[in-house]
Amino acid sequence: MKSKSYVMVDGLRLGLDKIKGDEGIIGYILRDAKSASIDIKDPSKIIDYAALSSTALESGESVSEVFGLGDVYSVVVEGKDVKVLSMSVGNSRMSIFMRRDVDHEKICKDLHLK
Amino acid sequence: MDKDTYATALRNTLTEVRNICPDISCSFIFTKEGMVVAGDEQSVDIPVKKTVGSFQSLMEKAITIGGLHTMIVKGSKGNVHISSINDMYLVIAASKNADMTYIRSIANVIVPTVLKLIKGIVPTPPKMAPSQQLIVESISGFFVGDAVHVDEEILKQWSKNFKGKSVSEVEVEAFGGKVIRCKVKVIGVSGYKGKGLIRVPEKVAQELEVTEGELVRIKPIEP
Repeated sequence: MKSKSYVMVDGLRLGLDKIKGDEGIIGYILRDAKSASIDIKDPSKIIDYAALSSTALESGESVSEVFGLGDVYSVVVEGKDVKVLSMSVGNSRMSIFMRRDVDHEKICKDLHLK
Repeated sequence: MDKDTYATALRNTLTEVRNICPDISCSFIFTKEGMVVAGDEQSVDIPVKKTVGSFQSLMEKAITIGGLHTMIVKGSKGNVHISSINDMYLVIAASKNADMTYIRSIANVIVPTVLKLIKGIVPTPPKMAPSQQLIVESISGFFVGDAVHVDEEILKQWSKNFKGKSVSEVEVEAFGGKVIRCKVKVIGVSGYKGKGLIRVPEKVAQELEVTEGELVRIKPIEP
């Protein structure tokens, strides 16, 4: 029998596959301790994006600790043209890269995330 | 504008922003190098160095997306909004239920506007009170009163500096350090006019611990 977390991540993977073709979506990284699903339109960016994704979540945790924010729901990092939405889902970590003008709150809703 | 004035103006701005938005628990501004420029009264309790440290490594990684403009962390108990303003970063910590659109407006519109205004302001130099050094000439007698007497020219000059308002009080400082504030009048006796003298009643001279012939500094009190 599949665990709740496994089912949740499976559903998320399906959701990510659905939104990846949406206007402004650049790609995503979904990874856990054992595996990673990466779908980034520009493959030359994969390493940089993976490093950013990981640092964004670590910085989010650190900021949360300093300011007493409790459990981190999401971290959004915006650059000049691109932004990344990073979240921990179960035992997995997910980052969605998109153009800066994309509504990331809507993406969360579409993926049934908080 | 000097750094202290700039920091004070920013600190006051952040404190006022917090007053109008009680959902903000604290806010501060730091430079890319990690130096805190200003913070509201609540930010003193925040271990800022730790925040800045973790943020600096994110800054390096964010080069791939065109630099770090904004970071928003949403947690179960609150949110933090960090945004780039010129070469600095503004940190706003807010409660869980804070209106993040409002926080975004503060971070992206209000504070940058205030920063721009502060930078544009050239402070008006405080009106210099022209002090004079005069030689003490003591006066005594029953009807002397407690006002010091100076040349009419000095009073006229001060009056010009204060848009025609007459100066009626002065601060007299002895070189020994004693300072007193007293009334001032024009020297009435022609023999003492135009000699750079200040006629000081004996009682005042004693308070100042000065004797005849000594120099004192005299400064008008703005009317």
